Amino acid sequence: MKSTKQKQIIKILIYILIPVVIVAGATAFGTKKYAFLSIVVMLLACVPFFVSFEKKNAKVERMLALAVLTAISILGRYIFGFIPHFKPITAMVIITGIYMGGEMGFLCGALSAVVSNFIFGQGPWTTFQMFAWGFTGLMAGVFAKQLKENKPALLLYACLAGLSYSLMLDVWSTIWAEGEFNIKRYVGYIITSIPTTLTYIVSNIMFLLILTRPIGEKLDRIRKKYGI
Amino acid sequence: MKVFENYHPIVLFIYFISVLVIAMFETNPVILGLTLLGGVLFALLLVEKKRFVKDLVMILPFMLLVALTNPLFSHNGVTPLFFLNGNAVTLEAILYGIDIAAMIMAVIYWFKCYQEVFGSDKFLYLFGKIIPKVALVISMTLRFIPLLRRQYKKIADAQKCLGMYEDKSIIDKAKVVMKNVSILITWSLENSVDTSMSMKARGYGIKGRTNYHNFKIHKMDKILLIITLLMDVTVFTGMITGNTTFWFYPEITAIKTTLLAFTSYLAHAVLSFTPFIIELKENLKWKYYVWKI
Repeated sequence: MKSTKQKQIIKILIYILIPVVIVAGATAFGTKKYAFLSIVVMLLACVPFFVSFEKKNAKVERMLALAVLTAISILGRYIFGFIPHFKPITAMVIITGIYMGGEMGFLCGALSAVVSNFIFGQGPWTTFQMFAWGFTGLMAGVFAKQLKENKPALLLYACLAGLSYSLMLDVWSTIWAEGEFNIKRYVGYIITSIPTTLTYIVSNIMFLLILTRPIGEKLDRIRKKYGI
Repeated sequence: MKVFENYHPIVLFIYFISVLVIAMFETNPVILGLTLLGGVLFALLLVEKKRFVKDLVMILPFMLLVALTNPLFSHNGVTPLFFLNGNAVTLEAILYGIDIAAMIMAVIYWFKCYQEVFGSDKFLYLFGKIIPKVALVISMTLRFIPLLRRQYKKIADAQKCLGMYEDKSIIDKAKVVMKNVSILITWSLENSVDTSMSMKARGYGIKGRTNYHNFKIHKMDKILLIITLLMDVTVFTGMITGNTTFWFYPEITAIKTTLLAFTSYLAHAVLSFTPFIIELKENLKWKYYVWKI
């Protein structure tokens, strides 16, 4: 275990390091500074959730539940791998967010991105996937009550989640290819990715319709039984 | 045999981060060309020849598409070649498209090498120090994936024995799959609680416990680390002082030939080719010893 003094030094180092990295990156990578900054921002956006998970003496059961839910969502991506873009990850992340709270939803989304890319290939897009899925889970946790009771709301959320995921990743493709945000290219990407977005939406709706109630019941039961 | 794999995870991580950051965010064609060449050569040694060719066949047309479509989106630049639907197609936009394609390809290849060299065990060791709980969750997730797959097979077999055949129609098949998935989820959640109780019983989370790992810092790690950091500093000095800055818009800048610019290019060449050279050296050594026998 680290002593408090060591921890203090690490903290100060981090506070110095972050602005230094941002400023140095922005000056060094003239034309592509936005691509660099966007990745840094995406990573920093995920940090608070990881830190709070570390700090809050998270129960072992919670950690295990998170691991199982993430594994199931990735397994789904594996099982349905033969249909491109048809994957239950978003649905699983939403269900986790609804039944286990926004924080767990965010972590399930972010970890699904990291771990599934161990299999499907890491890349700079991992950071954007982490944030896009994490955000979906977080928002599902925020609107948990409405989503649990109201089926149309759930379906609407499924559509929005598919749409926002696609739009967010298109932002990345645009910035990556252009160095900055070119709205013309962005619109072009959105138009060419319409079939993919529709697949996302359809798969989200289908998986949520089928999976929400059975998995939700099981999660509720396990939470009551073991007090997670 | 991969030699580069044997380096310490921290050293490897710093190395890959430096190369990838430069590859992703630098526009200078000289630096990009070096990065791309280094990555492709390194991948050539790491990946099987058959797969390498297959990947190349898949990647090249995509890159061509990226390069060719750039002028459609951007009409910056001062040298119009011809007009398409009233929009100028400029030389700068085409060249920038090629530059982007090279960048994306370089990043894809370096990530391929990363994938080959930097296994999840190294990833977990590295992040286990900074975020131990999250790293443990990731580690357990990785373990659950094959476990759940095997369990699913068992469930499906048991259900089949009970008469749940799945060959009547698609709806029947879907019903069976759904039932199996439902059983799998119940089982895995219960199982996870068992695991967590077992972990607690064995003292997980008690102060003073250490992790086992088999990574030691050797002399070769120190050498690689020093090389990486030195080259990084040189390349970044070139970038920050504007010696390697390169603009495509509105007009293509000339490649600077100052001493510092040359030093940066040289440093970047060393950085990009180091793994290739290390790997090649060991390969030749191996072949030599085999030949001697």
